[in-house]
Amino acid sequence: MKLRFKLTYIGVALLTLSSLSSCNHDDWFDRDSKSLITDAQLWNDPKLLTSLVANYYDRMPTLHGVFNTGGMTELDDAMWSGHRDQNWRNDYQFGDDYGRYWDYGLIRDLNLSLENIDQFSTQLSDAQRKQYKAELRFIRAFVYFELVKRMGGVPIVTTQLIYDFSGDPTPLQVARAKEYEVYDFIYKELEEIKEDLAVYNASKTRANKYTALALESRAMLYAASIAKYNNLMASPITTAGGEVGIPANMATGYYTKSLAASKEIMNGPYALYNENADKGANFYDMLNKKTGAEVIFAKDFVTSLKVHRFAYDNIVRSLTEDNESSSTISPSLSLVESFDYLDGSKGTLHDKNGAGNYVAYQNINDIFANKDARLFGTVIYPGTSFRGRAVSIQAGVATWGANGAYQFTAAPQLGQNYASGGLWTGFDGPLYDAQDVSNTGFYIRKFVSDAPAASTRGTSAANWWPWFRLGEIYLNASEAAFELGQTVDARTYVNKLRERAGFPANSISNLTMDIIRNERRVELAFEDHRYYDLKRWRIAHLVWDGSENDPNAVVYGLYAYRVVRPGHADDGKYIYERVRPARFRKARFFRMANYYASISQDVINKNPKIVRNPFH
Amino acid sequence: MKIKFLSLLVAFASLLVVGCEYDNFEAPKSTLSGRVVYEGKAIGVRNNGPQLELWQDGYPLRSAIPVYFDQDGSFSVSLFDGEYKLVRKGDSPWLQQATDTVLVQVKGNTTIDVPVTPYFTVTNESFQKNNNSISANFTVNRIVGTANLEFVRLYLGKSVLTDQVQRELRVDANLANVAFGQPTRIVGELPDNLKNLDYVFARIGVKATVSGEYYYTAVQKIALK
Repeated sequence: MKLRFKLTYIGVALLTLSSLSSCNHDDWFDRDSKSLITDAQLWNDPKLLTSLVANYYDRMPTLHGVFNTGGMTELDDAMWSGHRDQNWRNDYQFGDDYGRYWDYGLIRDLNLSLENIDQFSTQLSDAQRKQYKAELRFIRAFVYFELVKRMGGVPIVTTQLIYDFSGDPTPLQVARAKEYEVYDFIYKELEEIKEDLAVYNASKTRANKYTALALESRAMLYAASIAKYNNLMASPITTAGGEVGIPANMATGYYTKSLAASKEIMNGPYALYNENADKGANFYDMLNKKTGAEVIFAKDFVTSLKVHRFAYDNIVRSLTEDNESSSTISPSLSLVESFDYLDGSKGTLHDKNGAGNYVAYQNINDIFANKDARLFGTVIYPGTSFRGRAVSIQAGVATWGANGAYQFTAAPQLGQNYASGGLWTGFDGPLYDAQDVSNTGFYIRKFVSDAPAASTRGTSAANWWPWFRLGEIYLNASEAAFELGQTVDARTYVNKLRERAGFPANSISNLTMDIIRNERRVELAFEDHRYYDLKRWRIAHLVWDGSENDPNAVVYGLYAYRVVRPGHADDGKYIYERVRPARFRKARFFRMANYYASISQDVINKNPKIVRNPFH
Repeated sequence: MKIKFLSLLVAFASLLVVGCEYDNFEAPKSTLSGRVVYEGKAIGVRNNGPQLELWQDGYPLRSAIPVYFDQDGSFSVSLFDGEYKLVRKGDSPWLQQATDTVLVQVKGNTTIDVPVTPYFTVTNESFQKNNNSISANFTVNRIVGTANLEFVRLYLGKSVLTDQVQRELRVDANLANVAFGQPTRIVGELPDNLKNLDYVFARIGVKATVSGEYYYTAVQKIALK
């Protein structure tokens, strides 16, 4: 009885179940997955494709760029004044692997996307397919440019490498291309896709025709200068197979290509940013505001969606809105002095006269008077303001000692007043050996957002990062024209750029390569150019020679002191002292081996065809 | 019951001890030490400068063991016993011989002299103090026939670590006056920060154009008082 009862139950249950499943068969078993996107869906849906491309844009490589506070403090333009746990940036030398980059994961992702668009995107129009493929190829060319800049000739892989399980991996092992072959590859790709990218010409955050040209302009200039300057070295850096080193006779061709690309951009819809009558503020606004027609291609940020903490890292100490950090990047005296005076004289600050005595200035910022306006736009120096509030930068007071010389004293606490009245040490330092306050007497203004709450971690900053802007194109054009012997054109370009910085028209009459190099340093400071510029001119080992006595290799500061000397004419005026901050420990030292970063042994183990870079 | 529990505890605890030992590798006990030499004489280098590399075959993956120098050209490395290949790298004051490796058998404490071919050497160096200057007399020799001279320099410093990077005074020789195999002289005026010291350290450095590194003489201490 009991058993039969049980059996009945089971029978009924089974019947019910089977009827259920057969009824709703289609709905129940053939639903689209809610957690998986199929190839057919992805490669046919413009919305999904756009977000995929956005991911690749976000992964575009950079060394010291995209608000990399730490990276910006590793050269001669600045030192690290932030938390002590990263003081190694003031106490290191470029390792063999400095700048090593080998992201074939990203290359594979891009190749995979290109092949899948061909294979799966049946529902897209030809125009749409072209558009997406051109964007992907632009990013791939950009990645190859980053690879060749840092590593020299690298394997050019343009398809997915798929293992066939035959037990023989050699088909996957691609040898390094010659250095010039990679540059040629980049040029060819960009030439092929630039017209397809024209649909995005109104956008500044997606690659358009002019972005492709801007990359051409930069990459060809790099190739040309390596071809020229590497072969001018006493012993050029080369490998037997040409993986490193470009033949000298290719320089003219590359300079010509670079100049042609630059000219096309300058004839395009861009203009040097000139919207603020105050030239210094104008230079700052150019990168901080997202208006104007200067920026060609940028990585954008949006409050509450995608933000960065560059302002949190680098806000002036007394203007901090958060409870930790500030003042991390302390620009160097050598950067400040590389900004010329508006009358055309060299930018060396007149802190002492010919006899070696201090020159006293009425106001604390008088020593910086009549400087290139870009100094104001790049660096916060004593006597200026930020976000509408005056900064308080003063190292201490100078009293006249019994020994007939000035004695410098700093207050035990920032912002204290001196015994006889007046400010002793400013709220913003500088301090010789402290964290989260400037160690050099300067703060960075460029890229530090002045938006409300931008320096808090809760809100953070949303100013954008310019990958390419017209200012650089003018300098590229000027350099290429100069190298090609078109001196008049070269001078016109650089003078036009200097006019925007407050110089009178035709401020340079006798252009030299040194002037162009200095212009690049001041115009493009902190924009991830200097390391590569010095490398391609083959002067990095001379500028950063590791010598502790060299003001270019060592980061110095300039400390302003108020003179307390009652009865003397200089009482209440300001004098300036050059100092080497205690936290800066080791001069920048770039060795021959750093011109090309070493390739990881792991890569060589996997692919024996890879040739080592010189000196590694 | 209690005894059983205790013995179990002991048994498990002893298992843990065994496990620990099993996981750990023994530290290398042998030392390979030596010098870089040319014609039996050690070559001076920059502190924290050139390096050698050691490689070992017989494993699926290879990775270099860096060998660092003292500034007198000596080195020592802790290693396991075995056969190693020693590589003389580029960007050193001597010829790069990346494929011409030196086979080294390490067994216990091993000493070797690594022969290298410097581009230039400096011999017969002597330093004199006259009033407020230091004069150095020496001979520059070209060893590699194709090498070109870039700098011949006198360095003075406060510490025994004196070289191109760490120094108080650097005086360049006029290369037009440097004849190979002939005596050369550099005179350095003592700067204010060295004048009143009890002693300074002096050194000659020579650089070939092909390399970023200098060949240095041994550091010499010169009494000023």
